[in-house]
Amino acid sequence: MDLIILTQYVLSGLVIGVIYALMAVSITFVHGMMKVVNWSMGEYYMMGGYIQYLLITMLIGPSLWFLGIPIAFAIIFVLGVVIQRYMLHPMFVGESERMDEYATIVTITLMILFRNLAIIFGGPYQYSVPDYFPPTDLGPLPISGNRFMALIGTALILGILYYVMKKTWPGRALLGMSQNRIGIQTAGINVRRLDEIAFGIGVGLAAAAGALLAPVFLVWAESGSVPTMKGFEIVVIGGLGSIPGSIIAALLLGLIESLGSVFISSEYRDLFGFVFLILILIFRPNGLFGDRERLA
Amino acid sequence: MNKTRKQFFLTTVGLALVMALFPMWLGEFYLHVVTIGLFYVILAISWNLLAGYAGQLSLAHHAFAAVGGYASALLFLYGSEALGTPLPLWTTIIFGTIFAGLVGYGLGSVCLNMRRIYLAITTWAFAESFRLWVMSEYEITRGDLGLSTELLFDTSDPTPFFYVFLGATALCLWIVFEIIRSPAGFYLRALRDDEEAAQAMGVDTVRWKRFAFTASSAMAGFAGTLQAHYIGMLTPTPIKFNEMAIILVMVIAGGLRSFWGPAIGAMFIQVLAEALRDYAEYRMVLFAVMVLAIMRFYREGIFGMMRDGVAKLRSQPIRGST
Repeated sequence: MDLIILTQYVLSGLVIGVIYALMAVSITFVHGMMKVVNWSMGEYYMMGGYIQYLLITMLIGPSLWFLGIPIAFAIIFVLGVVIQRYMLHPMFVGESERMDEYATIVTITLMILFRNLAIIFGGPYQYSVPDYFPPTDLGPLPISGNRFMALIGTALILGILYYVMKKTWPGRALLGMSQNRIGIQTAGINVRRLDEIAFGIGVGLAAAAGALLAPVFLVWAESGSVPTMKGFEIVVIGGLGSIPGSIIAALLLGLIESLGSVFISSEYRDLFGFVFLILILIFRPNGLFGDRERLA
Repeated sequence: MNKTRKQFFLTTVGLALVMALFPMWLGEFYLHVVTIGLFYVILAISWNLLAGYAGQLSLAHHAFAAVGGYASALLFLYGSEALGTPLPLWTTIIFGTIFAGLVGYGLGSVCLNMRRIYLAITTWAFAESFRLWVMSEYEITRGDLGLSTELLFDTSDPTPFFYVFLGATALCLWIVFEIIRSPAGFYLRALRDDEEAAQAMGVDTVRWKRFAFTASSAMAGFAGTLQAHYIGMLTPTPIKFNEMAIILVMVIAGGLRSFWGPAIGAMFIQVLAEALRDYAEYRMVLFAVMVLAIMRFYREGIFGMMRDGVAKLRSQPIRGST
């Protein structure tokens, strides 16, 4: 095969991998901080897309599209805090013997709720957001402007997340919580408040991803199902709760899908990820970079 | 025969007798609704066996119904072609059931080391992979076009199908009852409550995990084969995650970990869903809010509510009887 074509496939695989990383970071974040898997993540992504669409068409116009991303983050952050306070919090206070079971059931139900609310309010239509940027070239690879902006946006969002987590007070408190929930309480930190912030940031990240990727994957009621699918694959491959792990896994998944569809068959594109995931879990039940789960 | 078993048989036989009269009262449409309701009852009680009693929160149950259905339909299609005569449907139904059980055994073996979240995600990945496989191998499975299947009875009247489903549901209820009353039932619950402790007490956790997966998958596959030969069409749509969410809603609404709860919940949700058919999205919102309320305020579900109500009525002295 021609070397240039091969580099093009590798590059496009990496680009889609970066986009997947943005989809996965929300699940990883929430699980890392709260040990909860958020099955409704895709629905916050979907709502982020709707918010962006409404903002662009009604309020700020297509030239100021980048303002929509922090606004979507802020709105969904508040929603996340409310959900954490009234729906998810009870699982931490001993009302439930099996907190993972409670969280799975509640978040799957939230998924049904938001998805059908979106159909009621938005109808079964697919909305498209105007392009963010004209088409451009990335080395040998011609790339759509929207994907290019998604690339830059992802790098920015992950950079800000890194800065917040390592350098600011709440970020370091969150890191502490991810290490030891009880230990941090002895240091005088209100874990309940911190949980709300963690869940809010987590779902806010999903909404920001939805707003950023709105022109790439269109805005509709079930637009959350692809990020959920890719997100879970990545998070499990990389190891739950490990943010660097999920970024590496996302790049790997993008590469596997891109090269697999060239060398094997493009029909199976979506299947590669699942096969890879099940293989990884058989040999490493905690993912590539996951810590061994503590029993009991 | 001890008291609980007597009670179980009386209730089941009584319910079955009452329901056997349904074709006299209900129109064809509602009989169809109740028949599909019975299909969901089998799925709900077998999922409750796996998730409620054994604590293995699998998200692939809807896929096992489809595995059974496709196995049976494909065996009929290609087996009849190879033999030159149509295979009797009961053989393909048995094959579909056993096949789903075997796939369940395989998935259970893969998931032996996985706990909680990893288990949920792996089973979910299995279901999605199966759906994608069905969609992409359209030369075998006919993909989105749908695989038309042989009907169990050559009629569009749901009455004979209804009796088959009624019998199948009673059979599955009996199997689940015997499992949870036997030592196996106690092992499964021990597995759920504390795997390490169960292991220390000498419970073969590997064996019983596999057993729970195999039994519940075989039951789901059985229901799936019957449904395939009732509807006459198999598509990848019921392997979507929404279907699993509906099973989950049914079991939670009825009451997870109770014997009758999931059955009641499945029938209740199915009939309510059909009654509200004109408000497609609103009814899903309603169900979601209902489940959230149950999870938040009253974990026992509809069955728990009924039981508490009966207990309250019993504890009150009957007026005027003194």
